Amino acid sequence: MIGRLSQLGGVWLGRPGFGLSASLIALVAIFAILSPEFLHIDNLVGVVHRVTTTGIMAVGMTFVIMTGGIDLTVGPVLAISGLVAFFTFEGSASVPLSVLGAIGTGAAIGALNGAAVAYLRLPPIIVTLAMLSIVRGTALIVGGPILHQLPEGAGYEFIGTGFLFGVPVSVWIFLALAMLTAFVQRRSAFGLEVAAVGDNERAAFLSGRPVRLVKTLTYVICGATAALAGLIQSSQVYTASANFGEFGTELDVIAAVVLGGTSLQGGRGSILGTVMGVLFLGVVSSGLNILDVPVDVQLIAKGLIIVGALSARAGTQGQI
Amino acid sequence: MTAVNAPTLLRATGVSKSYGSLEVLHPIEFSIKAGEVRGLVGSNGAGKSTLIKILTGAHRPSAGDVWLNGRRLQLGNPHLMMDQGIACIYQHSSLVPSLSVLDNIFLGRQPTTRFGFLDRRTQLQAAQKLVAEYRIELDLLEKVESLSTVKQKEVEILKALALRSCLILMDEPTAWLSHSEVRKLHATIDTLRSRNIAVVYVSHVLDEVFDICDSISIMRDGAIVWEGPTTSIDRPRLINIMVGEKLGKASLESLEQKRKPRGTGDIRLSCHALARRNIFSDVSFDLYSGEILCFAGLVGAGRSDVVHAIFGAAQLDDGALQLNGEAHRFRSPKEAILAGIGLVPEDRRRDGLLLAHSVADNLVLAALKKVSRSGFLSQKRRRGLALRQIRNLNILPSNPDRVVSVLSGGNQQKVLIGRWLETAPTVLILDEPTVGIDVGAKAEIYGQLRALRDEGRAVLVISSDLEEVLTIADRIAVMAEGKLVSIHDAGAVSREELIAKIGGD
Ligand SMILES: Nc1ncnc2c1ncn2[C@@H]1O[C@H](COP(=O)(O)OP(=O)(O)OP(=O)(O)O)[C@@H](O)[C@H]1O
Ligand SMILES: [Mg+2]
Repeated sequence: MIGRLSQLGGVWLGRPGFGLSASLIALVAIFAILSPEFLHIDNLVGVVHRVTTTGIMAVGMTFVIMTGGIDLTVGPVLAISGLVAFFTFEGSASVPLSVLGAIGTGAAIGALNGAAVAYLRLPPIIVTLAMLSIVRGTALIVGGPILHQLPEGAGYEFIGTGFLFGVPVSVWIFLALAMLTAFVQRRSAFGLEVAAVGDNERAAFLSGRPVRLVKTLTYVICGATAALAGLIQSSQVYTASANFGEFGTELDVIAAVVLGGTSLQGGRGSILGTVMGVLFLGVVSSGLNILDVPVDVQLIAKGLIIVGALSARAGTQGQI
Repeated sequence: MTAVNAPTLLRATGVSKSYGSLEVLHPIEFSIKAGEVRGLVGSNGAGKSTLIKILTGAHRPSAGDVWLNGRRLQLGNPHLMMDQGIACIYQHSSLVPSLSVLDNIFLGRQPTTRFGFLDRRTQLQAAQKLVAEYRIELDLLEKVESLSTVKQKEVEILKALALRSCLILMDEPTAWLSHSEVRKLHATIDTLRSRNIAVVYVSHVLDEVFDICDSISIMRDGAIVWEGPTTSIDRPRLINIMVGEKLGKASLESLEQKRKPRGTGDIRLSCHALARRNIFSDVSFDLYSGEILCFAGLVGAGRSDVVHAIFGAAQLDDGALQLNGEAHRFRSPKEAILAGIGLVPEDRRRDGLLLAHSVADNLVLAALKKVSRSGFLSQKRRRGLALRQIRNLNILPSNPDRVVSVLSGGNQQKVLIGRWLETAPTVLILDEPTVGIDVGAKAEIYGQLRALRDEGRAVLVISSDLEEVLTIADRIAVMAEGKLVSIHDAGAVSREELIAKIGGD
């Protein structure tokens, strides 16, 4: 029995997510000791609430990174999808249509990224860097430099500010998306194909996997999740602006994914790990907030904590 | 042959290696004399590479000591071992392809001038001296990527010599070499022996071991079970010790067979004047159902390029392809697989395996339809499929969740073959299917291929191993320099004729 238990323990300890969940718990404990109000349920829900947009984007980004790619366009996509939602709503007064329009725009930008990477064989970092610039420029042309006020009481703001069973709707959306994609990633043929492409693209190709289609789809997913995040953000602040999703958004997203154990080389990773990574970052920044650490110091501390967490994990994984 | 009373060069005592609670190498005693060429043989997963890696410092043993010239070595540090004069040549080249031979030889420890710049003159002189001393023909300024495989091995040997190595370990050095290249390598080893350098030679090709080795160590299940001079053992006895009576007998029996040229008489795959610019041209042949057609030739004769082009994985500039009488031109492996073709590629690490994935994931990769329903994988079927192939091919360890990268080379190869057996193709193409596979497993795989043939499938095997070709082929096609030279019924052609056709001698 004890042998069995320790065997189970061994399996659990060896799991990639374990180190991260342990440090997450440790971090929560430290903040709780430093400031007891941290553990207050409202604060905890608030922690999750503040990372929903990053979290939703990170879920999509996980698929891209698992193929060995990267998507730097999430910030501008977030901005332009808010604008698309705003203008669609202005024109049609239909919430479903604006949602569809926004997410469709994100998916379309993702499709362009994916096609350039998969079919033209261009390096993802270059493609999405160029696209970042193009989409931001387009957003500025479409939206101009001003803030667009969303009309109130139209049902649109429910996405960002509504509550269900005492928990923000956006948090529900994040959780539902995470669960759905985690299932897809672990249990679907597509999920295996994504990891296979990242592990050994040529082997996947020679085994008849539709490598280019799979790669393209990961960028489509990433674009769509960035658009969903844009919808939520614009509805949270009742405005749409071409300047949302400023520089640094994509770095937060990528940091969460990598913290969650997904390898930048591709092949290895999981949505559940990403969710952990997102929560970890959320706990760090809200803990630092509660402790009244100045923003500039927070940035430095966050950077150090990310590096620390990553090197701790590299240490447990042993050899290079 | 070495002098019997030469001094002991290296001695390992009580060396063992465990992963968790699993001891893959039991405490062993191993010693080798200066100028001795020792063959290290054993079935897949017996622990040969593990022992080699301990001696190179790549792995730290769980227990035990290693002594070199009477001095105890600090273990688990590759740089230190290299400095002490232990070098290693692996099956896969460890050279940098885009650099010249000279740069590769001195990579990482170039002699520098006083100002920290590379001292090319000293390098060139040192390298020229070595080339002359060991009678190796190499253009030192040529890029490594333009060299043949055997030349690359020689570069690695030169690299070892430049380090003043006294012991060179070779883990399956001949896996990608043709028979004439093997002979060249053996000549070089002879020179090494005459200069008192010791060699440990790991190979699954027993003829090579009998040809070049002074003495043999046989490993089985993580232990050395027999050791002695080559003259005191013969092939059947060695096989028996290595894989046991039963498999040994199967291996000998697998040599005898009934040949069925043109199988059932129905043409499955018909190729007419296939060509790809500068690579191959005018390749025409018919593959019948119920036969094994072997493509013999030298490495680099264009055989892999031909089958990749057929399979839709490489460009085909010209020619016509018919499968079951219908014209086809596959644009991707996916289309070829749907039409019923399978291809086991030659380089399992580069083209075959998902090294970070489990055995089960690797086995289902080409047959995802079979284990999924409306896009979602059925865990039960995935596991069922994996266990079936693990049993079928005797893959060890038999755990479907084990990451494939920790399997021994031979077992990795079996996983790859299992993946393709599971797609049940009507035409199965295998490119060097038994590289790195032990004699027992070879017999098993030959059995599998014959079973496929007897089911009426068409099997095409590319092999540079003439023994293998003569063992399993119903018909033999010879390719040389991008041209299909001739096709023979296997029973009607002699070994010597084949060697002459293959050329390169
Ligand atoms: N990191 C690891 N974790 C667990 N088991 C391992 C690991 N590395 C190797 N092994 C196991 O050690 C055993 C010995 O492997 P080794 O590579 O030495 O075999 P080998 O004799 O070289 O076989 P082959 O002829 O197939 O190359 C195998 O059963 C292998 O699965
Ligand atoms: Mg080995």
